[in-house]
Amino acid sequence: MKSLSTVLALQGLLLFYSLGSVLSKLAAGVDPVSWEFLFMYAGIILILGVYAIGWQQILKRLPLTSAYANKAVTVVWGIIWGFLIFNEPLTLGRAIGAVVVMAGIVLFAYSDHGNPGIENAIDCEISKNKEAV
Amino acid sequence: MSESLFIYSCFLLFGTFVSAISQVLLKKAALQTYSSKIKEYFNSRVLSAYFLFFLASLLCIFAYRVVPLSFGPILEATGYIYVMIFGAVFFGEKITIKKALAITLILIGIGIYSLLG
Repeated sequence: MKSLSTVLALQGLLLFYSLGSVLSKLAAGVDPVSWEFLFMYAGIILILGVYAIGWQQILKRLPLTSAYANKAVTVVWGIIWGFLIFNEPLTLGRAIGAVVVMAGIVLFAYSDHGNPGIENAIDCEISKNKEAV
Repeated sequence: MSESLFIYSCFLLFGTFVSAISQVLLKKAALQTYSSKIKEYFNSRVLSAYFLFFLASLLCIFAYRVVPLSFGPILEATGYIYVMIFGAVFFGEKITIKKALAITLILIGIGIYSLLG
């Protein structure tokens, strides 16, 4: 049960992380030299920072492979936000492509046995800096 | 896939590559021991890594001018290719058949999304 609540927390964190992409997409639509852009960019950095700290907390409680496999869900959030906020059509071809990519991510996650790899480095570094502050 | 979508997708793919390089730099920096706390954060590797990370985030925003949000995380999955290659080249991690198969699946998925989507 403990790991179930950790997975739920991780899923919540990944949902939060996906909002960073929504902000990136919104920022793409405004003048890059404007307060609006600056606020959105600050929001993106804030989300990445919070995500990095949360990710480190998750890794203390969940095997890295499971944590990585869960990351595949960001593909689903991209499709959902794209559909709901930006009216992007959801076609069968897109759905099949997304499922195949997700299968690849999950397989990649479980192909390693607890090796943190380089992917994790930036998250570590950000949270290390946060702790230092 | 339209020509402009292809070009802007390349910006996102390049951004993912740049981000992977920044992660290699951070990992290299994290493995080193430093004489002081300040040097641990303010050294050429960490600073250039953050610069590249900043560049990657701008490339991503630029790409989203044309790339649909639903395609973003799919293109970013190419990051695992660099995790595999850089992991092998710089950190002695093994390239296993499972990993290669996983990358192939990711690439096939991107192909399906672009061609049928």
